[in-house]
Formats: sequence, structure tokens, C-alpha cells
Amino acid sequence: MTLLDIKNLNLAMTSYEGETQILHGIDLKIERGEIWGMVGETGSGKSLTGLSVSRLIPSPPGRYLAGSIEFQGRDVLKATDKDMRALRGRHIGMIFQDPTTNLNPAFRIGTQLVDVALHAGSADPSVLGLVKGASRSELKKAARRVAVDMLDKVGIPKATERIDDYPHQFSGGMRQRVLIAMAMIGKPDLLIADEPTTALDVSVQAQILRLIHDLVQERNIGVLLITHNLGVVAQVSSHVAVMYRGRILEAGPVGDVLKRPKNSYTQALLNSVPTTHTKRGELKGLNGLVPEVSA
Amino acid sequence: MTLDIQNVSKTFSGPRQGFFGRGESFSALDGVSLSIKKGASFGLVGESGSGKTTLTRCVLRLETLSAGSILYDGADIHKLTPLQMRRLRSRLQIVFQDPYASLDPRMTVHDIVAEPLVIHSDVVNLNAHQRTERVLELLLQVGLRSEHLFRYPHEFSGGQRQRIGIARALAVRPEFLILDEPTSALDVSVQADVLNLLHRLQQELGLTYFFISHDLGVIRYICDDVAVIYRGKLVEQGPVADIFDNPQSDYTRMLLNAMPDPDPDLSPFRKVEVG
Repeated sequence: MTLLDIKNLNLAMTSYEGETQILHGIDLKIERGEIWGMVGETGSGKSLTGLSVSRLIPSPPGRYLAGSIEFQGRDVLKATDKDMRALRGRHIGMIFQDPTTNLNPAFRIGTQLVDVALHAGSADPSVLGLVKGASRSELKKAARRVAVDMLDKVGIPKATERIDDYPHQFSGGMRQRVLIAMAMIGKPDLLIADEPTTALDVSVQAQILRLIHDLVQERNIGVLLITHNLGVVAQVSSHVAVMYRGRILEAGPVGDVLKRPKNSYTQALLNSVPTTHTKRGELKGLNGLVPEVSA
Repeated sequence: MTLDIQNVSKTFSGPRQGFFGRGESFSALDGVSLSIKKGASFGLVGESGSGKTTLTRCVLRLETLSAGSILYDGADIHKLTPLQMRRLRSRLQIVFQDPYASLDPRMTVHDIVAEPLVIHSDVVNLNAHQRTERVLELLLQVGLRSEHLFRYPHEFSGGQRQRIGIARALAVRPEFLILDEPTSALDVSVQADVLNLLHRLQQELGLTYFFISHDLGVIRYICDDVAVIYRGKLVEQGPVADIFDNPQSDYTRMLLNAMPDPDPDLSPFRKVEVG
């Protein structure tokens, strides 16, 4: 079964100026073991596509005009709120861009991780290595153990001690690791990473990308990696979708799309990244370029 | 030689502890020396917390130095009188990193770009009408249009805002521009336009650039010389081609390897899978 199957997704958002259509018929299929990079400029609808998958767009202002998002065969858009809560964190993990705003500064890292672990564990105790009907105290103990294991796994040194630290005691890269640990704790089948490395230094970025790559190898999960950095996509993704103004212009295996782009917009986007061979003054921006949109 | 930074150190004292005690002090810059030639583009690369921004603040005398000296055209910046410093500031301008935070939301583009002309009126000496003319000329120079004159910052995109920031920096006809991560908040496509604008302006106006960035690709594209800074110390410096093609230090090599290349064939992960 296809892990994630987005079909003809159309989303409109309401603002003071009235309703605007944001997504125009997004089609995307993600299988297990694939890392899909989604690239596009600011406002192209990358993040809204990602948020739609875990149905995190409030309605109103959001409204789906047409389409479906099938996650393991079930339409997310038609699921009840209760079903969605069971899905989020447990089957669909999410990592957001800014590690500083997505951790609560008033709670210890451990508390926040254990919360997530307990949430996943209460729906399915096997996540915590327990059988159904385990007592509350057993769940709590197991949740903490899993939280420490997970911190260790994402490369936080001395995880047993650091788990009782507060977020401000961690550096940006470590906070991002905590968020990844949090997303992975429920052993999700699909990971949605919305600009996971944009706020980080290149050296830390390389480590985080390696971490995501290893998780996919190890657990055979699917990943939707949203980014505006073509370099990141080229490095870690197996497939790529190029978005422009709410449409996917081109999608396919990363080697095909980035090496032999069919769409002139993809080509232009690639040309706007300075490489080692680009001479000064030769870089091309996208000023005024309107891509071909197949209706 | 335009800017000569000699053996500059900057130490921030630690947090207060008790009545008289002080926590451990932090050395943000440690014996940094570099010189920037007139008309050249000098790049400074480093990760967050490495001291890049502290160095630019020292050059603008927004921080005092703990040791060393900074010479601009032979004069020690940190020994100038306040009046001399104000005169110098009209020759030394800065473009900030975040175009959303560095423009006053309650001022029109006209007022933003004209402000340095008012502050440095003893140097530029324009009346109100001439100032407006100059602002218009600047807007056209950075690729904006005359109808943008009386709009507010929120009406512009990130790239356009950065152009306004550049216009403001150029208003008093400086010779030396500090660019503190001017493109890191922008999309790649917009970044390309802003980089090309900076390149064109440098050729037209003969500017000297001190370009701070953590993006090695951008530095390689726009700069002649580059220095790599790590934890307040310069690890390596030299012509861009030398440093990038033949890095001497492990840190520079690590940075270059960590830079994600847009060519999928060069991915370290795929190499593992094939081999």
C-alpha cells in the first residue's frame, strides 16, 4: 500500500481580502524508504502541503476545495478529530523549522519528550515496549526510558543527564535533535520535516541530514522534506518535487529532475545557486520569469 | 590599504555573581588581523557564535576593543573624537542581515533612505528637495521604481526590502560597505538578484565590500579574498580560489565538505549506497 497518496489537493485560505486559492491540484505519492524533497520559493505552498498531511490547517481560514490525502489507505481529510490525534505523533511525525519556538522553555526536555511518548504509548503500548493493559506507572517508566534512548540515538551526549535540562541549556543544533527525537519517539511511518536545517550552521546541517538519512535506512519510513535549499535536496533526497505558486511543476527521482530538468523554472532555480564554476556577474535570478504551467 | 584590523581581541565579561564576583569572561575575538584593499571584496566566513558580527560591530565602533587596533585609511578608528567618528561613519556604511527587522515599519521608504542624508547633512548638505531627488536616484539604482517612494516597508517583499536597505547604505555615497549576511534571509532566486545588484554597484561606484556570510557558495561567488573565523580566531585567510580549492586547515575542509552541493551525484549518502 502506498504510504502517502495526495490526489488533486486544492486548498483555499480566507483573509481580509477574501478567499484565495493556495494549492492548485497537488498530486504526490510517497512510498516507504523514499525521501521526497519539496522545493520552492517562499509562498509557493510547500509548508501548507506538509501541514495538510497531518491536517494542521484550521478551518476556517483553510478550506479544501477538492482532493484527498490518503495515508495508508485512509483519507486524512475525512478522518475524525479523534482519529487524527491518534495519527499525529504516532504514525505521522513532524519536525518544524525553528527549534527555539517549538520547545516550551518552561519545561524540562525530558518532560516534553515523556509527554509525547505517553501520548503515543497510551494509544499503542507496543511503542514503549509494553503489552496492552500496562499500569500507569509502568507506562511512565517506559516512556522515560524510551525518551533517553531516543535522545541518545539522535546524538545527544550523556542523554541520561541532559534529559533533565531546560531547552535554553541546549544549542540550536541540539534543540533540533530534540525535535527530531520527539518526532521519532512514536515510531512514525511518515516523517514530515519542514525546513529542519534552515536555522542551523552547515556543519550541524550535515549531521542532521545524516541523521534523517540513517533513520530512513534503519526504519524504512517515508520522509517529506520541505526546504528551499536545493543543495540539501540534492544531497539527501531520493525524489524531488518543485513547487511554484501552489502547483507541482516537476517531480521525479532527484537525479533526473536536478540533472536534466524538463521545466524551465527548475532550470532557472538551479541557475540561481552559485556553484564553484559560476563567474561573478553570471548568476541568474528569476526576475520576471513566469514558468510554464501545465493546466 | 583601506581597512587594517591589527591583532584585535574582544572579551565580554562574565555574568555578575554575588556582590563583587564575575563569572568567567568570554573571548569573542582573539588576535584577529586582516586587511582589506580598496575596491576589493573581502569575505568573512564562520558559523554562528564565531565572532563575525562582533568584528563588524568593532569596525563600526559599536563595541570597544579589549586589545589591538583598527585602522581605516591609516587613522585608528577607536581613537577618533566623536565628531571625527561621525564624519567617518558617512564613509563606512552597513547593510544588515534581516530586512524585516532593520527597516522602521512606521517610516516611508523616502524617509528611511533620506535619514542618513539628514544625519550627515554636514557632509552631504542637501535641501529637502534635493534629498528627495537623491532618494529617487538611489531607488532606481537598486532596481526599485519611483512609485515606491512613499510606500511603507510592509508593502515590499524580502528582496525588495533588502534593496531598500542597500539604498539607505548608499545614500551618503560611502566608500566602504559592511554587508552582514545580506542574503541569508532571502530565497535563492532573490539572493541571486541581490548578489548581482551588489556586484553591479561595486563596479559602478568603486565600493569596497566587507562581506560576512556563513554561505560559502555566496562568498566564493562575490569575494576576492576570504578569511575563515572559528571561535574568535582566524583559521585561514587568502584569495578565494586558494582557500576553496586548496584549504590548509581541517576546519575549512570540514566546512567545505559540509556545504550541500546542488549536484545530486556529489551526495555523500549516495556514494555510500553505490560503493
